[in-house]
Parts: sequence; C-alpha cells; structure tokens
Amino acid sequence: MSGIAVFLCRCFGEINRVIDLDSLQKKLEQDHSVVFFDVVESICLADDIKEAASRIRKSGAEKIVIGGCSHLARGTVVIDGLVREGMKRSAIRLVDLREACAWIHADDPANAVQKAWDLIRMEIAALYHRRESDNVTISVCPEVMIVGAGPAGLSAARTLGRLGFKVHLLERGSNPGGMLNLISHVYPSDEKAQEKIKLYVHEVEKNPLIHFYPKAKIKSITGFTGDFKVQVSSAAGEEMFRVGAVILASGARVWLPHGLYRYGKLKNVITQMEVERQFLKGPLTITSAVFIQCVGARNNERPYCATMCCPSSLKNAVRIRDENPDARVFILHRDIMTPGSTLEAYYRNALAKGVQFIRFEETNSPEMLGDERVEGVDVYDVINGIKIKLDTDLVVLSTPLVPNDDNVKLAGMLGLQLDRYGFFSEIYPLHPLETRVDGVFICGSARWPVSSDHAMMQGEGAAVKAAALLGRETVSALSLSRIPGEKFGHASVNAETCTGCGNCVAVCPFDACRLQKMGRKSISRVNKFRCKACGNCVSVCPNGTVQLPEHDYRAVGAMIKRAFGEESAL
Amino acid sequence: MKMLIFACKWCGLIGADSAGKKRIQLPADFRVIPVECAALVEPDAVIRAFASGIAGVAVLGCHLGGCRFNHANHAAVKRLELLKTLLDATGIGGNRLLISFGTAHEDHQYAEVVKTFFEELRSLPSADLWM
Repeated sequence: MSGIAVFLCRCFGEINRVIDLDSLQKKLEQDHSVVFFDVVESICLADDIKEAASRIRKSGAEKIVIGGCSHLARGTVVIDGLVREGMKRSAIRLVDLREACAWIHADDPANAVQKAWDLIRMEIAALYHRRESDNVTISVCPEVMIVGAGPAGLSAARTLGRLGFKVHLLERGSNPGGMLNLISHVYPSDEKAQEKIKLYVHEVEKNPLIHFYPKAKIKSITGFTGDFKVQVSSAAGEEMFRVGAVILASGARVWLPHGLYRYGKLKNVITQMEVERQFLKGPLTITSAVFIQCVGARNNERPYCATMCCPSSLKNAVRIRDENPDARVFILHRDIMTPGSTLEAYYRNALAKGVQFIRFEETNSPEMLGDERVEGVDVYDVINGIKIKLDTDLVVLSTPLVPNDDNVKLAGMLGLQLDRYGFFSEIYPLHPLETRVDGVFICGSARWPVSSDHAMMQGEGAAVKAAALLGRETVSALSLSRIPGEKFGHASVNAETCTGCGNCVAVCPFDACRLQKMGRKSISRVNKFRCKACGNCVSVCPNGTVQLPEHDYRAVGAMIKRAFGEESAL
Repeated sequence: MKMLIFACKWCGLIGADSAGKKRIQLPADFRVIPVECAALVEPDAVIRAFASGIAGVAVLGCHLGGCRFNHANHAAVKRLELLKTLLDATGIGGNRLLISFGTAHEDHQYAEVVKTFFEELRSLPSADLWM
C-alpha cells in the first residue's frame, strides 16, 4: 500500500479562524493510511510548494491530499507546482476547506470542524481507490482533408500547401470557387469575384502537394485525430486515404423565399442571387429597383442575421445607380447591419450616391402591387409614420444563408454537434475554429454565414490550427486538450465481463464507444482518443464493466460512506 | 438532516466557490462530491447514498445545451428523472433527489438551491424511515 501525505493549510489564519486544524492533526495521527501530515501557514507560494515537494519525497508518500482553498482560487497553482516538481497529477487531490467550509460556516465552528474532517477523510478514501488511465500514443499522419473548395477551403488549402503538408481538397461541384462562382463582384473591395478566385486557384493548381477532387462525395470517415480513414468517390473514381486532420469548409446554401412577397408568382420579384447572375452576364440598366432586406431572416424561425445580405444589397444598389444615374433605388430594411470601418464606409457611400433607405417593421412588411408583374410596393415608413407607394419594375429580396442539407450526414459520420439551426457548432467560447472532436476544424459559412473575405480569413486560421496538430510527430490520448481544461482520463472496458448490451454506444456523445466482434460475442471498445471522460457510459453500464479509473465506483462509494462521520475502513 | 451534493465542476462547483467567496452562511450538514460532469453521477451511487442514511441527494449540473461534453447531460437528466420515479416506487420519495441543471452557477443561486432543498428535506420524515 502506498502512503498518503496530507498537508493542511492555515491560509494565514483564514481557515484556522473557524476550523481548529490542530485537533484535525491529532485525528490524522490515528489514521494508518496517512504516512505524513503537517499543518502549514501557506502552501500556494513558490517556496512552499518546493518545500512541500521535498518533504513528500523524503517521507516516501506517493499520494497527496491538500486541504486549502478551492480549485478556482489557488488550488490549481498548487497542483501545477507539484506536478512541475515531479508528482503525478492523478495522485493529488484538493480538499476545499476555505470556500466550501470555513467561509460559509463561520458562525458554526463545531460543525465546520466535523465537516472539514469528513471532507479530508473522503478525499483520502477517494485517493486510495483512484487509479490511472493507461495512455496510448500514435504517430500523426501529416496529411489533411479539406471539405469544400470555396473561399474558405481554398485559402486553407493554400496555407497548408505553403507549409508543406499534403492536402486532399474535396469539392461537390466540378470547379473550385464555391459561391464566388455565382456572384459578380465581392464587397467591400468591389473586385471581380472571378479575379479573386483565380489568385487562389492558380496557386492550388501549381502546388503538387494539393490534390483536387472534383465532384467528390464522402462515403465514410472513420478514425480519430491524427489518423482518420476517408473513403471518397469523385470524378476520378473511388479512393481511400489516411489523413491526420479534417477541415470542414462546406459552406452554406441560399434560402429561397417561396410564398413570401409573392416570389415565384410575380415576374420581376427576384432574389439577390438572381441579380448577381444578371450582373455576371453584363451591365443591368433599369430605371427603378426596390431591395427588401431580412426576407426570412431575423424572424422566429431563423432569428439570426446572415450578415452578408445588407452589404450585398448596398453593393448592388450602388452598381445600379452607377450604371444609370437616374435610376430610383430604394432599400427597405429593418436595420442596416454594417459593422466595422469598411462596411460603414460602404453604407455612407450608398447614401452619398443617392440610394434611399426606408425602415419598416417586421409586423407590417411591404406589400407587392400588380397582377402579372410587379408594378409597385406599398410600404409603411416607421420613422415618418406614413404609408408610401413606390413605383418600381424590379423587387430584389435579400434572403439569408441556411445550412447545407448534408451537414447532418457529415456530422453523424464525424460525431460532431450541430447548432439549433444546423450549422456546425464551434467550441464556445474562445475556440471559434475547433470542434469537440479533436482534429476536426471548421471555417467559413459551414459554421456561420460570413462574407468571402471573412471566410478566407477563417480558412487560414483553421489551416494553422490544423498545422499545429499535423506538425507533431506523435499524439497521445491523454495529451489532448479537453476544453476547457486538461483531459484527466478515459473510460476503460473490462473485456471479460462485458455483455455487449450496447448501452454505452447509445449514450456516448462523442461516438467513442463501438461494439466489436470478439469470438462469439460482441464487446464494447472505447476509443481513447475520442473519449472525453464525461462518464455517461459508466453510469449506464449495468454491471460496472465500463469504468473511469480516475473516478472509480469504489472511490465514490467510499466517499459516500465517509461523508457523515461514519468510521469505515478503506 | 444529512444532504449530499454532486456538483459538476463547470457549474455547481463554480457556484459553491463563489458562494464561499461571498461568505454566504449555509447550514453545515451537507457534503459536496465534485464530479467532472453530471453524467458521472451513477444512479447506484445515489441509491448507495440513501442506503447509508443520507436524507437528500442533489445533482447540480450545467444547463441543458450548455454541457462541456456535447449532450452528455441530456442523458444524465433522463436517467435521474427515471431514478426519481423508482425512488417514488420504493417509498423513499423522488422529492429527495434534486436534479437542478443550470441553476447553481452563481453564488446566490447556489445558496438558494441548498437552502430551499434543506427546507424541503426538513418537511419530510427523517432517513430513519427506511434505515
């Protein structure tokens, strides 16, 4: 049996004032599992940690219980310090005597002492039964798959190609460029969209490390970070390859406003994309146009702002005014969303060029006039409080981007989570390009509607995130970050007692548990790289076959037994 | 009146920590077992707690949809709700198991949850009922 060392911290009197630590010290003398104990003035300062570590080493204790403040106060500092001194992280337990005992029970010292003693004994018991997960290390395959060759995918491919990684670039259509192929100019630079793609496509085609798969379909993805196996059918036939990381840049699709503003019934009521198509063909000379914003967006069904529709309308309105300075152009909006310095300047430019803005309310939206083709729009101007009739022969509806239909399938294959609208969800907060599956990154409109330049920016970001993983030679299961914080273990299955009921497979949120044929029966196997140690499988296992060594059922049982002063042996 | 709290490290434990920092005074008859996620609370651990004479068990987790482990706490809440009905059937009573997700992230919320659960437990017979 390995001994346990106990350090109790007075915290310069903060704990001491309520809890009589000296009486606890006397009780600790009688505990045979404790080989070393002491009450110290403070333990979180650098010198204290060094001294504690040397005393633990001298005493020969292997496990350490520290009674002091909480994890969120200085507890993590103490643990990190002791780990730096060569102690095992899994062999250190904190007992929160300050926040969870001394400070909240200051008016009841007698019970506080009892509680402190119980808490210390609970942690001693937990530590006694705690085991350590075995670690696995694999070598990282230095290749990457990028799904989607739109602006985000192309910029990610270019960055990774420049860094010297082999890139498999998959595209649903036959040409790279994604949605940029469908529009004439991009905002806010007013460059031609084709010119913008060309810059990237040229480099992607020239780089021998980047393989482009047109008309690609993903048949299956298996594996985990550092070692995904992908089966793809493309124009070149079926192929299988291994990659170390996956970047999802599959974009989004434009929502069509069927049933709104008599779209599809009246001629000349068209969407923003159809205007772009006409601009692609050549200049569009018309005498009047009305743009309607937030069509099918910012309502109860889709309460989000798609961010790219206001700037697109501004761009096209200004183009119509530029081509025919006498054209009457109105933008009917609920709010003009132009954040940032460049887009605000864009809005001011449209104002200066004579585009007129009218604000309407969601509950009182504009009405189309005309029988076969649109002749005018009736709109209630909220700001002036009057009804205005606009004569026009073109109405343009700005519709939002909505998630691709195959997001569900892709998320299912990779074990990813979708948000409530169907976009891929990031790790919120602070990890905008990562997903909860290690080695899978998201960028561009697949995670949220963005403009093309933002998609390119995100593509580059995701590429660098992927490069940080691919640049490592090996990756071990326990070194993966479990966000937030550090991964502390993973579930393990006892192959002899597993009955193959599949409860753990059904409940695992990370697709880490899989059933595997083993002789005549099937047993559950836990993928140590996918497992994040949430403990669902442990809770549903009918016979205790699946266990988290760091959170053993014996440890929890012993903690419960000792919770209220019951003198039970370990 | 003995009470046991399983507090998720990302919600209940943060509430407990900030309640301590605010020096909110609470009855001393409860013990907290920190867990990484509410999904780690095994139903048999809850039953074991009742079997050892604890009058009430509270499971404090993150709000549904806010779990650090994808949808891990959805499964947990289903499992524990089922356990509640089983506790009703045994006569211990489902109201002795408090499932409180996303309600104890802040100091006063945490203190409120603990205090109101204590009051509820005091209105019930003691654990000698089944011991």
